[in-house]
Amino acid sequence: MNTPKAALNSASQQPEKTHIRLGFVALSDVAPLAVAKILEFGHSHGLTLELCRQPSWAAVRDKLLSGEIDAAHALYGLVYGVQLGIGGPQGDMAVLMVLNRNGQAITLSNPLADALSKSGNLKEALASLGRPPVFAQTFPTGTHAMWLYYWLAALGVHPLRDIRSIVIPPPQMVDALAEGQLDGFCVGEPWNAVAEARHAGRTVAITSQIWPDHPEKVLASRRDFVALYPNTARALVQTMLEACRWLDDPAHRADISTWLAAPELVGVPQELIAPRLLGEYDTARFPVRPLPVSFFDKGAVNYPRPSDGLWFLTQYRRWGLLNGDHDDAAIASAISQTALYREAAALADVRVPDEIRADVLVDGHVWDGQDPASYLDGFAMRA
Amino acid sequence: MLRVLLVTDTDKPIGDLRQALARLGYDMLAEVATPAALPKVVEEQRPDVVIIDTESPSRDTLEQLAVMNETAPRPVLMFSNDGDQQLIHAAVGAGVSAYLVEGLEAARLAPILEVALARFARDEQLRKRLADAENELADRKLIDRAKRLLMDRRKMTEPEAYAMLRKRAMDEGMKLAEVARQLVSMVDLLG
Repeated sequence: MNTPKAALNSASQQPEKTHIRLGFVALSDVAPLAVAKILEFGHSHGLTLELCRQPSWAAVRDKLLSGEIDAAHALYGLVYGVQLGIGGPQGDMAVLMVLNRNGQAITLSNPLADALSKSGNLKEALASLGRPPVFAQTFPTGTHAMWLYYWLAALGVHPLRDIRSIVIPPPQMVDALAEGQLDGFCVGEPWNAVAEARHAGRTVAITSQIWPDHPEKVLASRRDFVALYPNTARALVQTMLEACRWLDDPAHRADISTWLAAPELVGVPQELIAPRLLGEYDTARFPVRPLPVSFFDKGAVNYPRPSDGLWFLTQYRRWGLLNGDHDDAAIASAISQTALYREAAALADVRVPDEIRADVLVDGHVWDGQDPASYLDGFAMRA
Repeated sequence: MLRVLLVTDTDKPIGDLRQALARLGYDMLAEVATPAALPKVVEEQRPDVVIIDTESPSRDTLEQLAVMNETAPRPVLMFSNDGDQQLIHAAVGAGVSAYLVEGLEAARLAPILEVALARFARDEQLRKRLADAENELADRKLIDRAKRLLMDRRKMTEPEAYAMLRKRAMDEGMKLAEVARQLVSMVDLLG
């Protein structure tokens, strides 16, 4: 077996492709890509990174499939949606690593947030609107749709019958909320913080309260890219692991929020990005500090655990996005590039966490990936 | 008659297609300019084809409609099974996406896309790609030059020179390439 040093020196490990185009959407959790580019972490692994901002997740998907971008900062669920061809083109996808956990939130309009704090019951608060409530999320098979649906269902609100769910791009959500076109939304930061700063609405739930340390964005690519350029893919994972490790230092988080504020990245003032990137939430509303966005956590964040992907498949089945006979476990293990990740983690000296993790979600159900069929059967509310 | 909806929420003049398509005999619906307005229009006016800039932020809104509603227009890009692949690929290259109701014949879509193509030459995009690639190369050369300067003058190893540039970039909140540019221009100035 190669030692990391020998592996680096070996010509056979040289990246086959050295210029990598990375897609991303304007969100605070693009931080690992931003730091990897700004400080050129790729150079020591023979890679030059190019960041390509995309106006929509549909654009991320199309450009991944057409090869215009090589890899992307993507919603966990986007990868699975494309793999299954739900609502759009199908392609064989790869999750190279997880880029972050947590860091998203649910915001309600001021009237709805008031009604909720008065009655303490979401169902009653929604009824007080006197019309079908409208909630926005970011992509049909995406993480925000799944966090929103799970949260609503846990509070007794049927996400497909009791509310209307539409997709609005994150930068437009706050406007739509302020104009009264929405009653709430689930989105990544800084957009919940922006809504509060503009007094358009209030954050009522942090996604780590729905699933503590939930997987969120991944480094996504096509399976044929990984097969054609294995050394490039490994070098890219190594580069991004180093960027994630760099972000674990709170001083660095403050730095990166200044960079993220730039118009070509997120384009939102630094003072709206920094607090939630550092895990600071209003203590009156959140007396127990919610688990903040995490990018590394000694490597616990980044392993592309197939059972994380499997969770999204259970939710697609729950809400009728996926039906019929598929081998869900086989789909998840084909997408998750665990072997490649282990090689890269060894080279970057990053510990690989245990294969199994068990979490209690907001509704009291336990997800450990061991028996998805019973987990799915445990939901009384479904499509 | 095909009902065509134009989504005009980017700089690209999608709206300019209106007259040309109307002349070809299509039923042109009122344009939509924000993602929040789209769901209602698609549901009430039931377009057969939606033409939208590939860079439009409203595309995800349309995707959701396709997933939630069997009769909503679905994305057709270069991945279409039955479409004229080359034509559709070219349309996307030119910055036009079409979403159409499933089962609509590609032959009926072709003239629409041809009009769109005529409007949106892809030269502009190619020029931008070339300029980006050149900038990237220039940055890389600049960083290499700054590293060599540090190695020559400060007797550093390459990793030391690189670490110094990176630290400076972190401390100053600047891009590595900008730090390199400053260093190189300083040295040029001092000779």
